[in-house]
Amino acid sequence: MNRRQGWFFFIIFLLAFSIYLLINYPLQLGLDLKGGSQLTLQLIKKEGDVTKDELDSVKAVLDKRVNNLGVSESNLQTLGSNQLILELPGEQDPLSAKRVIGKTALLEFRKQSPNTDKELRDLQLQRSKINILIKEFDELIKRKIDENAITKIKNSLIEIEDKISFKSNEKDIYKDLNNTRKYINKEIANLFLKTDLTGKDLVNAGRRQEQVNNNWEVLLTFTNQGGEKFADITKSIAGTERLLAIVLDGESISEASVGNQFINTGITGGSATISGNFNAEESRELEVQLRGGALPLPIEIIETNTIGPILGSKNIEKSLYAAILGLVFVGLFMIINYRVLGLISVISLIFYGFFNLALYSLIPVTLTLPGIAGLILSIGMAVDANILIFERVRDELKNGNTLIRSIDNGFLRANSSIIDGHITTLISCIVLFILGTNFVKGFSATLGIGVLISLFTSLNCSKTFLRFITSYQSMRQKKLYIDNLNLKSNLTENEK
Amino acid sequence: MKIKFFNLIKNKRNIFSISSFLLLLSLTGILTSSFSPKIKKPINLGMDFLGGNEIRIERKCNNICSEIRSDEIIKSLKKFPNKNLLNNINFQIQNDNKLISIRTPFIPLEQSEELLKNLDTFLGPLDYESKSARSIGPKLGKKLLLNGSISLIISLIAISIYLSIRFDKKFAIFALAALFHDLFIVFGVFSWLGILISVEVNSLFAVSLLTIAGYSVNDTVVIFDRIRENLKANDKGAKNQIIELSVNESLRRTIFTSLTTLIPLFTLIIFGSYTLFWFSVSLALGIIVGSYSSILLAPSLLLEER
Repeated sequence: MNRRQGWFFFIIFLLAFSIYLLINYPLQLGLDLKGGSQLTLQLIKKEGDVTKDELDSVKAVLDKRVNNLGVSESNLQTLGSNQLILELPGEQDPLSAKRVIGKTALLEFRKQSPNTDKELRDLQLQRSKINILIKEFDELIKRKIDENAITKIKNSLIEIEDKISFKSNEKDIYKDLNNTRKYINKEIANLFLKTDLTGKDLVNAGRRQEQVNNNWEVLLTFTNQGGEKFADITKSIAGTERLLAIVLDGESISEASVGNQFINTGITGGSATISGNFNAEESRELEVQLRGGALPLPIEIIETNTIGPILGSKNIEKSLYAAILGLVFVGLFMIINYRVLGLISVISLIFYGFFNLALYSLIPVTLTLPGIAGLILSIGMAVDANILIFERVRDELKNGNTLIRSIDNGFLRANSSIIDGHITTLISCIVLFILGTNFVKGFSATLGIGVLISLFTSLNCSKTFLRFITSYQSMRQKKLYIDNLNLKSNLTENEK
Repeated sequence: MKIKFFNLIKNKRNIFSISSFLLLLSLTGILTSSFSPKIKKPINLGMDFLGGNEIRIERKCNNICSEIRSDEIIKSLKKFPNKNLLNNINFQIQNDNKLISIRTPFIPLEQSEELLKNLDTFLGPLDYESKSARSIGPKLGKKLLLNGSISLIISLIAISIYLSIRFDKKFAIFALAALFHDLFIVFGVFSWLGILISVEVNSLFAVSLLTIAGYSVNDTVVIFDRIRENLKANDKGAKNQIIELSVNESLRRTIFTSLTTLIPLFTLIIFGSYTLFWFSVSLALGIIVGSYSSILLAPSLLLEER
């Protein structure tokens, strides 16, 4: 008895945990449900395959450009070996996204104006603060919108804005944050003097890992003329407190000092390394920016998908309506046919629904329209498992077994059919998930998760509930479980 | 719910005739579609596979939207620079002249925006909040088609392997035959739908075929299991009678499980969004044909001739 109750409380605990998850980590909705644009981009390479490194570099460049769009929760993902998917929630105009994706930036090298150390240090401090805020905000919007945390970020933002006497008046806090960062970077760039060295003088930028301490460093190679210019500039600031800034579209992205040893000649040889405590990610970002944000490979938009916000919410409404109505009908069907057993399957189905949704938010699975269809279908399959069991229980009861025995045997004997059925569906799901595109993946993910959970709920939840109920004497009457015990004669009788 | 005894042995002929008829009907559908000058393929492939551009947008109207015809819209676009596009554009007007859906070959985003702007002056004002647009490049389309076909073939192979492990040769082959029967009929019905009311198939159709495959095999496996179990239990009885009895023993549960899957699908068909309409229809159709083939066709294949 103790063990049975243990299961019972474990399942209740799982339910509570699922509800907790759903409240704190709301489901991520796909663009077809919340509106927005989705662009699929393909890298074009004339010869050979696109390497992983090239794909990552293109992604890094685009990430930067997309961030400039200031669309919160924008998302860029690699797809397969040569494609990228860009999602812009709320954005109705994929054309503007296309323009931003297609543009290249102006790269300049500037040297610091004399006697601006203090201002620079202040601004750099504020920049690191705002970078932390933006990171925090990115983390925050992935979860439940927590008003307190948002207010905190807002307050910190205002503090920073006061320090630099700048005010961004956007409705959207994410845009505010980005505007402020942009402003700070521009102010930093303004502390530097223009030189005649620009992105045109740069032949290449690359990165490598230092052997001593595993930090990354970024390498620059200049044209002959560029090398001379670079030597001149570095010579003029070497050994002083003045820094060299890399400025992209008027925003300073990195400031570096030039060591004492270059005081006589400057950095010669047409190449230079920038080292700092870069990690792989940062060094790649800098490398990308140094290339003037130019794409290592050209891209082509091969698919776009735009869904208006009204349509998105209509889609949610309709599918919710359909799903709930479907469930109600299925529930009624089960209760009419199986009485107490039916009721129990309805309860375990409700649990099933919660477990499913909780897993979606935990993994996380982005819920799309085909995803909802997968969920609905998986509910149908979960009911299947229950029917298999209940039919077996009925058979056992008809054969004159006691209730408890029938239930135990029913579950035992239905096991193999249930597992078989789930496996065939899982085979299709796995193939779909591996080979399918975006939309198809959503469907196979929800159906696959549903099938896996259904194995647990139908074999475990229903059984636990049944045992719990049948531990009460008053619930052990057979008539509560099947309607008609004379069915057996019906089966053997051959109607002529 | 009571379910009457079904006389499988007597109805063997009928079952074979029904299935042959359905298969023949599907085959004619596929052939007609292949030779029809409009489609030229076994099934009417949609934008997902051929590439193209589709925009659906609603007009803002007070109460009633003024009546429009698609040839009028095309006339209004005469000034549009891309003449080739005008020859291949297709308008559908739905929901009492409110919803316009526009189909064109694959065009760049700029042209698509330009097209909408032009339409706005003629049909406007348009409600951009309700817009949905999709465009798929022809290269991607080919890839999707290839992917869909490969997925189908791979999971059929995987299912066959599973069946051959699970059952002996005869059972496995008949289960597979039932599966191909189901897929062929659903495919054929959609060929006919393509010819008759220009229904197009997209990636979701491939998905539905795969799901039907899993589901149909599942049902067949359950019935074959029952038959095998009963055959082992009484080796003396006439084989055909045992098969018939096994079918009747699983009849109730197969009908019930199909019903509980069909119910939510029907609510999706009736109340769900248009994106999922044909998807749900093909799933529902597949589940109906699948249960028929599992309950009746597959076991009758096992019946021995007298």
